[in-house]
Amino acid sequence: MSQGVALAPLSARVYLARNLRRVAPVLGIQALVTCLLVTAITPTNAFEATTQAYTAAMEAITIVTPRERPILDRTLTGLLDANPSQERRQSAKMFWIRTPMIVGEAWAPLLLLDVSEHAGLLERVGCRLVEGRMPEPGSADAVVHEAVLKARGWALGTVFGEEVDRLDGTPGRFEVVGVLAGPARLALGDLSRASQPDSIYARQLPFEVVYASPGRKAASDAYLEAAKLPSGGAAFRVVNDELVRARIHKSFVNLPLVLTFITAAVAIVVALVTALLDLLLFHARLDELALLLAVGHPRRRLVRKLAAESALVALLGWAAGLALGLVVVSIYRALVLEPKGILMHLLDARPLLFSLAVPVLSTLVGSIALRVKLARMDPVAVIQRRGA
Amino acid sequence: MSAALQVPAAVLEARGLSLAYSDGARHVEAVRDVSLEVQRGEFLGIVGPSGSGKSSLLFLLGGLRRPSAGGVRLLGQALSSSPETNADQRRRHVGFVFQEPFLVPYLSVRENALTHVEDSDGPARLESLAEAIGMQDLLDERPHRLSGGQRQRAGLLRALANTPDLVLADEPTAFLDQSSGHAVMDLLRAHLGRAALVVVTHDRAMLAGASRVLTLTDGTLTAG
Repeated sequence: MSQGVALAPLSARVYLARNLRRVAPVLGIQALVTCLLVTAITPTNAFEATTQAYTAAMEAITIVTPRERPILDRTLTGLLDANPSQERRQSAKMFWIRTPMIVGEAWAPLLLLDVSEHAGLLERVGCRLVEGRMPEPGSADAVVHEAVLKARGWALGTVFGEEVDRLDGTPGRFEVVGVLAGPARLALGDLSRASQPDSIYARQLPFEVVYASPGRKAASDAYLEAAKLPSGGAAFRVVNDELVRARIHKSFVNLPLVLTFITAAVAIVVALVTALLDLLLFHARLDELALLLAVGHPRRRLVRKLAAESALVALLGWAAGLALGLVVVSIYRALVLEPKGILMHLLDARPLLFSLAVPVLSTLVGSIALRVKLARMDPVAVIQRRGA
Repeated sequence: MSAALQVPAAVLEARGLSLAYSDGARHVEAVRDVSLEVQRGEFLGIVGPSGSGKSSLLFLLGGLRRPSAGGVRLLGQALSSSPETNADQRRRHVGFVFQEPFLVPYLSVRENALTHVEDSDGPARLESLAEAIGMQDLLDERPHRLSGGQRQRAGLLRALANTPDLVLADEPTAFLDQSSGHAVMDLLRAHLGRAALVVVTHDRAMLAGASRVLTLTDGTLTAG
């Protein structure tokens, strides 16, 4: 005996292929809701993606400041120079450039280094000058990443900083003289001007940019984290990619909870609507189901058939919704985010996983409702009613 | 002689079969103490006016209704009184022909006939059966493209596709004109093979060629 022969005409695939118009409302609801979830959830990775790009330089360099002491004194520089994994280090100061996001803002680093070190740092972080020139020694020149310029609406010659606009979060006054491109979104300026005693920037904490020897960054960072003062206290506050990632992660620690709540609410509503539509379809198929029961198909087999049909419709709707959602977020990224210099990953596992709750719950609730209806159905009554 | 070698005397055997139910405040005895036997190859006609309990009796004989009293044996085996637990027996041994052919609208004639065929020879057997009853050119048509007579023949095809031991037909010609009705009955008789046939109808003319005709009046079966 072959179950396949018996069930092939009654398979969910055959039903769906030949009743597309009938299942279109369920398919459409599933697709639209999935699309809605994808377009709502995917952009939540924009802040994380953009912030990571702004701090990508930390994957190539490490920045340290004294933890307990106000300056990098001889003890601290001695500890730095004893780092066996260090290639070289440079004095620096670090400011931040505010960049607006759709909601809130992110911050791009503005590193002030000796101009002779600029080329080496750009090479290390994988960036290059694509327009304009590099900063002159002692000047207020700055080279800024193209995405930051886009986000702020700046161009070559733009002057920025708190002295120009008191709402600007960057201290002092800088002029954009060059445009950078590359994976790390940052800006560079000259340290010598910032280090003049009368400059407001001089009151900034001293920073050291530490370049690890090739392949030794983890070991170098571990050394810096573990370095101790003679008093036993930690010598340095270490800002590296690990810390940045941890901070970003911490910023979004409640996001899954919010997404779970939203998705659950949406999935429950959709499941109830789908179950109602399934029941309407069930009533339209009373003759078919009565006949199948009468000729000897057990109810459990028909329950499986109806559940498989529900699952197939829900999964197809989900897949269509994912595809539609991907198109919508692509358009949103191209038209809204990219002009503002905001990054967003199109391929994100979260919308896929969260939106999966919709077909799963819909299939579950729909199948239970159909199972109850089928259990109460009297095929003889249906057949006799039609024959009367 | 071992049980496996025993050949049941009757394909269908009903003893003391009754069906009573409440319809609001009214107590209805649709079938009263019916006993009958149908042998292999026999054509039993049951005739009676509308409301006499013909359909109820047929559904009891086919295991689709739970009797209030009595029982049915199919091929010598007790047919469970629960339609759910006797589904396998029905599917394997009984072919049903209803007043309305009840074809699944999105399946072709061929697929409708194969919905309860479980052996791999089914499709080939169906082809020859379709040819015999003049449906070979309509096997791939959907029900909405068929005339009333063609739809009823498609129903016959489904009933016979599984080479049943028993065919139960409930007013199979009710919605057909006289000539189409006779044609359907002729086809049914001609292609029964070794199966037993029970037909209930209000139209005695459709029972031409029946081995026996019984009359049902108010749920009670009487000869002739």
